[in-house]
Amino acid sequence: MSERMYPGLTQEERTGFAPYSAFDIPADLRELHGRYDVEATALRVRNFRYAEEWMVMMMGGWVATIPEIPVKTGLGKVIWETAQAADELGKRLPELRCGRKSLEASEAPNTAFADFIQEVSNPETPDLTIEKLSGVFDVLIPHLVEIYEMHNRETDAICDAPTIEILEHMVRRKRQHIQWGQEVLDALCDDDETQQRRRDRANQLSGLLKESGGVTGVLETGQASLN
Amino acid sequence: MKRFIDHEELARDSRFIRQDAAQANVISSLPDDVETVVNVFEQFGPIIEAGVRGTSAEPLFEELGPGFMLTVLNEPLDPDAPAAVPRLLLRMHGIFVGELQALEGAARSLWDFPDAPWEFKMNMARQCWDEARHLQIFEKLLVHLGGHVGMYPESTFLFEACCSEDPAMRVAGVNRGLEGLACDVFRDMIRFANKTGDEVMKQAVDYVLADEITHVRFGSEWVKEFTKDNPEHLKRTQDFRREVDKRFSFGGARSDREDAAIPIAREDRLEAGFTEEELQELSEISGVGPSKKTLSEAAQILRDRYHETRKAQQEGASS
Ligand SMILES: [Fe+2]
Ligand SMILES: [Fe+2]
Repeated sequence: MSERMYPGLTQEERTGFAPYSAFDIPADLRELHGRYDVEATALRVRNFRYAEEWMVMMMGGWVATIPEIPVKTGLGKVIWETAQAADELGKRLPELRCGRKSLEASEAPNTAFADFIQEVSNPETPDLTIEKLSGVFDVLIPHLVEIYEMHNRETDAICDAPTIEILEHMVRRKRQHIQWGQEVLDALCDDDETQQRRRDRANQLSGLLKESGGVTGVLETGQASLN
Repeated sequence: MKRFIDHEELARDSRFIRQDAAQANVISSLPDDVETVVNVFEQFGPIIEAGVRGTSAEPLFEELGPGFMLTVLNEPLDPDAPAAVPRLLLRMHGIFVGELQALEGAARSLWDFPDAPWEFKMNMARQCWDEARHLQIFEKLLVHLGGHVGMYPESTFLFEACCSEDPAMRVAGVNRGLEGLACDVFRDMIRFANKTGDEVMKQAVDYVLADEITHVRFGSEWVKEFTKDNPEHLKRTQDFRREVDKRFSFGGARSDREDAAIPIAREDRLEAGFTEEELQELSEISGVGPSKKTLSEAAQILRDRYHETRKAQQEGASS
């Protein structure tokens, strides 16, 4: 054989591997297995999008009612990045056989979760920055990060890779949002009374979230706590 | 959280001083008559004075009397003119609070119109981030020029004038009226920075202007979309925008007139989707109002009378 086609094919190369195996390292050990079929993933993506879209809207509503300028400007960035997340999820839906017009589709898993979202958005007056931010940055976003990461562990790593890619990127940004929110809340809650307000708000909402079953309505088994 | 808020509900921290919006509204509806202008400002004198006490505008009031905004608004920014620095800072501070209200207007559109198309929400969300950055930029520029947040009173009349409860009118007011005004002001600031050789200000404002053109474009597109198939709605929306444009012309201070303090940024507005007809119309709307000569004469009378009254009061107190 004169023409070199694969490494290890000629005498001089002296490799013990079978010819084709040189391209196969490391071997793909993933298995075709996932907890969600196309329909289930599509529903979950609509659920995720519901939470993201409502976060965009409620944070938008709050900007004018929050007196602290750095919170207004910080929220501006979080709003845009959250909108991008909702947009990416929407673009995934037509790929999951939801139809070409499904880009804007979002769906609450149940009325209890929809009620929970309305409760998160409830605080209105300028003296309630702690209650506003605690709902989103202590409870809702950490819950979403937990569920998105769980989805990525449990869905089919090859078949549903496009969803995984979207969620991985979202999780990276959400961790930055949580960090920003915690820093702001730590600064705002600088005495016993404000710290208690923050805890009360987080506990109240965590309770409602748990009762609703979370963003997908079915809190996955094996979770010791929500956050 | 309720939908739609009043401009008086905009939340501010303790640095801010709120100004009665009446003054700005009055300025936009003055006739071309010296005596009337003087009378109006004398009538509003106590309110104007109360609004500036304890702020960095107090020296301007002391110097020019209740008509100080006439001078500030109608004379182009000139680095060599008297009181150039306080006037520059007053304009910068005005821009800063304008950005703040633009951020609040765009953000409220996300909450006030929950059933709007997703693409609209994406545009408004992007605008939130842009306006948030503009706020940060203008706070830095304010400090760069020696000022600080809260040094002048804030009038929330921009939000008041343009935040309609109708989505088409909201974008017409915020994204075409307010953002269009921003284009005019920023083009003027770039000219000023060129004159003073301030590269920091020139580059920063140039970037901001690029963002604003995008925001005006959002407005141009969404007015069309929200009013398509409804010519009557489009007409009402255009009427609303005309009203906003008139209020934002400050009696001709922002106009195509030769003596305008802030000229209309024609090229920028064309790029942002304004038509030639609309610009012609804006030119007509904004040019109506007292002439610069009228305002200069009125400002002079107000200044003289203020100093005479002060002098009489001081003499009365000492005798
Ligand atoms: Fe802006
Ligand atoms: Fe803008």
